[in-house]
Amino acid sequence: MAPWLAGMGLYALVVGVSGATSGVPGPAAWLTGPTIYSGGAQVAAVDLIGSGAAPAVVVASVLAINARLIVYSGAMARHWAGRPRWWRALAAYLLVDPSFAVGLDRYGRAADGARDGGGDRAGDRDAAHAHYLGGAVALWLVWLCALAAGATLGPRLPAGLHLEFVIPLFLTGEVVRRAATPASVLGAAAAAVVAVAGLAVPLRLGLLVSIAAGLAVALTASREER
Amino acid sequence: MNPYLVVLTAGVASYACRLSLVALGHRTGTPALLERVAPFVVPVTFAAVAAGGVVAGTGSAALVAARSVAVAVAVVAVRRTGRSHAAVAAGMPALWALDALIFRT
Repeated sequence: MAPWLAGMGLYALVVGVSGATSGVPGPAAWLTGPTIYSGGAQVAAVDLIGSGAAPAVVVASVLAINARLIVYSGAMARHWAGRPRWWRALAAYLLVDPSFAVGLDRYGRAADGARDGGGDRAGDRDAAHAHYLGGAVALWLVWLCALAAGATLGPRLPAGLHLEFVIPLFLTGEVVRRAATPASVLGAAAAAVVAVAGLAVPLRLGLLVSIAAGLAVALTASREER
Repeated sequence: MNPYLVVLTAGVASYACRLSLVALGHRTGTPALLERVAPFVVPVTFAAVAAGGVVAGTGSAALVAARSVAVAVAVVAVRRTGRSHAAVAAGMPALWALDALIFRT
């Protein structure tokens, strides 16, 4: 858990600084934390709002980035079946990459323990629920505090530092780490080329075209890989 | 549109993603198309946003070139370390060095 907390803290600090230097009102940039609550989507939203993109482009981009949360939601649904509605609503709100990883690992151990016949199955499942919720709340608190710290620090730093470039660099890092297959590399490259070509399109509508083009290339390439 | 409203709308959309299949219960599986597209969505979307950020609002070919080199340095750093944070740690100093070299000499 501790490495996740440290990583989330650093990440939120960078997101907070980049939000503060994006031209978006500080409170609006910080508000992406408790509402969107997903680093990459927050960064993209702040960047797009700051560059004058149409609201539909901002929301569609956030949806595209956060679509993976539907997959997480599907994976957690079977573990959370039978929990009270308020509990599932809260647990779903706190669902993000690190909490998903921490929670899934703990639910997996609970299931292994039950399969091996060791311990109290219901008790272990309750402990797994508590582990998920406790960890997710801790991650959420660290995220929002570090985000505020970054937002406070950001405007005090000199313009010559080019901090607005932190966002593209950060996203580049995520692309390199996540593009693990030739299909995803091809898709990312195609999206980048179309995005640059479409920069002249008003309200950054070219961004949606570039995402669609990138996904089409990645899907086609993945079919050919098989 | 008011930026606060845009952020709130994006927040509601994000929460809908998180809650979707949890609210429907475990009887409903993840849609097949989403399963196929899911591994590509984040790298593709991030690449599109990042590429725009490298070129947009620079106003000078020299700055675009400096940013492109910084991105190349970032890619190498992430490949070598396996950590995405290395992109900022290596790319920003590269940009500062090029900035000093190109614009302050």
